[in-house]
Amino acid sequence: MRDDLRFRPGDAIAAIAVLALAGLLLLVWLWLPRDRQTTVQIYQNGVLIRELPLDTDTSFTVGGTYENTISIENGTVSVTRATCPGEDCVHTGKVSHAGQSILCLPNRLEVRLSGTPEVDEIAR
Amino acid sequence: MQTKKLTLCAVLTALALALGILERYLPLSLLLPLPGIKLGLANIVTLFALYELGLPYAAAILLLRIMLGSIYAGSITSLLYALSGGALSLGVMAIARRNPHLSIYGVSVLGAAAHNIGQILAASAVLASPAAMTYLPVLLAVSVGTGLLIGAVAAVMLHRLPTIRREAK
Repeated sequence: MRDDLRFRPGDAIAAIAVLALAGLLLLVWLWLPRDRQTTVQIYQNGVLIRELPLDTDTSFTVGGTYENTISIENGTVSVTRATCPGEDCVHTGKVSHAGQSILCLPNRLEVRLSGTPEVDEIAR
Repeated sequence: MQTKKLTLCAVLTALALALGILERYLPLSLLLPLPGIKLGLANIVTLFALYELGLPYAAAILLLRIMLGSIYAGSITSLLYALSGGALSLGVMAIARRNPHLSIYGVSVLGAAAHNIGQILAASAVLASPAAMTYLPVLLAVSVGTGLLIGAVAAVMLHRLPTIRREAK
């Protein structure tokens, strides 16, 4: 076989360099300030009932069949208390990336982060 | 001799077009739903032409493949993406080939990465927004795998086709 058809150590370096570039770009995106337009949208029965900015800390309770207490803190949103059985929404924990959401099926509630999904969300 | 070279170019262009069609039945996008993700089978032909016939022939085959391919299936924007990706890819591969530390594998990986960068740059220009850039890290990571695979196929092809080599020279 021709010599330039055989794998060389330099090829591994080239491959690692491309992966490093990918990693670097990924880091730049993760470190970049979050999309300022990311908002917290609260849907109940599929209807948008509240919309709040993600960068303003607040806490409030949404009624319905059950009650959910939603907290926005340090650019993350979570359901901190719920009266529904199971409390899946509370166990979802904190979400902070556009495209993520927290669901409470018993209360027909969705807490959605709107905005452009980021790299890690797409890659998932 | 010129006629044989011309014929080989025509066969390679047809092969590249056929590989482009075959690729639509092997959608890598089913595994990773990202726009622009693909194996890059047609790059086997570009690599073969670059190593066997040289840059001018490889460029001619690439240009013909892209033009004909987008006439059969495609739009003006997809033509633009393919042209910018293809041109950057071939340019990078031609330079990388001169590097004595790189074999066809490294050349293929760098070409695949350059193809993605070219396409994303074109997409960012068309959309007038850097949103497409967010895909780049994943596309680059995938291009290492596809680049090595395509490089391996091209290496086998260059190794196993001594007849074509003799005839064309």
